Amino acid sequence: MILPLGPMHPGYKEPIRLKVKTRGEKVLKAEIEYGYVHRGIERVMRNKTWQKAIYLSERVCGICSYIHTQTFAEAFEAISEVEAPPRAQFLRALTNELDRIQSHLIANSTYFKALDHETMFMYMLALREPVMDAIELLTGNRVNMGWNVVGGVRMDASESHLSRIREIIVDLEREFDRYVEMFEHGPLIGLRSREVGYMSQEEAEKARAVGPIGRASGIRYDFREDHPTYRDHLDFRTIWRDDGDNFARVMNRFDEIRVSIDLIKQVIDNMPGGPVRTKVDVKAGYGEWRNEAPRGEVAYMIETNGNLIKNISIRTPSIMNIDACAKYMLRDVATVADAVATYASADPCIACAERVMVVDEERGEREILL
Amino acid sequence: MSSVIWYLYEFARKSWAEKFANAHTEHEILEKPERFRDFPTVKREYCIGCGACTTACPAPGAIKLVRDTDTAEEEGQTYPVIVRGACIRCGFCAEVCPTDPKTIECGENHLIREEFTIVPSEKLYVIDDYLCIRCKKCMKACPVDAITEKDGRVEVDQGRCIACGECLEKCPVKGALKVIHVAYVEEQKMVINLAVNELESAIEEKSEDIKKLEAEGVYRMNYPLKPLLERALEVLPDEEIVRDLLEKITDRLKMRIITWSPEKCVQCRLCVDECPSGAITYSEDEGIVRDPDKCLRCSTCYQTCPFGVAGYYVARFLIDESSGEEMIRITIKPAALPVKR
Repeated sequence: MILPLGPMHPGYKEPIRLKVKTRGEKVLKAEIEYGYVHRGIERVMRNKTWQKAIYLSERVCGICSYIHTQTFAEAFEAISEVEAPPRAQFLRALTNELDRIQSHLIANSTYFKALDHETMFMYMLALREPVMDAIELLTGNRVNMGWNVVGGVRMDASESHLSRIREIIVDLEREFDRYVEMFEHGPLIGLRSREVGYMSQEEAEKARAVGPIGRASGIRYDFREDHPTYRDHLDFRTIWRDDGDNFARVMNRFDEIRVSIDLIKQVIDNMPGGPVRTKVDVKAGYGEWRNEAPRGEVAYMIETNGNLIKNISIRTPSIMNIDACAKYMLRDVATVADAVATYASADPCIACAERVMVVDEERGEREILL
Repeated sequence: MSSVIWYLYEFARKSWAEKFANAHTEHEILEKPERFRDFPTVKREYCIGCGACTTACPAPGAIKLVRDTDTAEEEGQTYPVIVRGACIRCGFCAEVCPTDPKTIECGENHLIREEFTIVPSEKLYVIDDYLCIRCKKCMKACPVDAITEKDGRVEVDQGRCIACGECLEKCPVKGALKVIHVAYVEEQKMVINLAVNELESAIEEKSEDIKKLEAEGVYRMNYPLKPLLERALEVLPDEEIVRDLLEKITDRLKMRIITWSPEKCVQCRLCVDECPSGAITYSEDEGIVRDPDKCLRCSTCYQTCPFGVAGYYVARFLIDESSGEEMIRITIKPAALPVKR
């Protein structure tokens, strides 16, 4: 039979419809239906100055909101051929890693919620809370931070703030190992996670899976390797596995949090001095920039006339990961409950992925809008 | 007993009863973390009513400029009001506020005002009231309702205009709706200089032909637009602005051409004293010499010279695409000015 999951489902954070074909309890294949939370952000951004559009780019994704503003600002800096001052770059990397930690923790907590392991779910959220406090201390707000501008960041952080963030991170690291061990060596959660929702490397490449989902299936690539700040100043290693199941995906996120903690310590220890912002005269032209968001690679393609945005296209990682999840992970899953857990392990963000195609029949033009 | 009376008295007070009937948490009693960016606070006595905050605000309708009613003693004070339902607490209004001390404050902000452009667009759409026929096609075409009719005049509200250009496409009268490019002003001046110099030197090459013109004759020549456009694009790499500029130049420019025939000169030196800019000089070795760089093209020498050494012509320009390639058509006519002869 065909079993509809959603649009409203306790395992989902956002509305989407999964049509699951089942035989008895076994899930044979799944299909995805979008169309519940489209917002038209790209269209709204056109004909706006970057000062206004950067706050809209923050609202593309609710959880990894930070990286969108950074990518937006760096795309504009690429167009104007300006580089942010080194201190601003380090502060950006610091916020990015803090944001990655909280995003991965909430993704794993959602996975545990989908497994109905409420204890771990609560533990993960409790771990996340001090990280949110650190973000608030640094940027002034918890989620929609308004922290990046073209040319740098908006507020400087004093030495006392940075040392407090370091304390928070050291505390987190101590707590964190205990919970990872619970998951890694606990018999029940491990059994329900291992060899469920398997996706091979070939399939991941076919579905263009990115981020922790792709890396858990053996795609050994992290876009931070190519980012100037990480490449030149920070010691960084890519986490990857080739198991390709739910366990690998969740463990991959846990290990990336460890790398992020290490990166934050490096950033705070090597923080350069100087200004946090430069004046940028935005030039006319086309530019694009890519970054590694918590969920994978995010790309901004911007065309500007020097002041207003003529055209903008945003490529978010979730759209590839959701497709990979529907097509390859949700195939021959043993139970429906496992199917929900597999869906949660892909860490989908629906609002990022919703697109609509506008067809102009008279002109014969068509465009796809986020 | 006295405490019971005190309690009864406390509960019977109006403020307590009001709070009881309308129970909610007050925003002010929240304990805020350090560096938390809350809603902006407004100190209305510093406000100069410039509207920079409303222009800069990224959230629609989050800031409104309010003006008190005038009293007999003084004018009403203008000040911004933050609508808390719409505010996204970005603190951008506080950054752009130009007053010192700041009217709006929001969290920690210590940034420089010059970093931001408050003018939201590079283009300014202006309606020429003399040419406008009030067909109101632009009003219908405008997607943001920025064009309004006020006292019989059609006007563009610059605060709302998004410079999309829909109105310009619909306007049936040439010149009634104009675009003014506010950006790249220095470069625009350089492009104008370049175009005028190019055209003048092109005409100068043909000065021998021009000198042969009769009093009623017309001399026509063509100048290709493409090389000029390419050179202008090197100065200002925005084809839209450059094309618009060149069109305006060729529409309006009326160039005065002075030709000089030294073979007719008899060294009478009448023109040397008359020339207002000192472009014509006399020395014993070289005789009368005219410096074209200093010349103002005022035609005084043409009117003074009894021997017709100086010739005075007027050139007009038009961009024409009819022959396939874009050409600037140049028409040169002799000036009809009185001459002392």
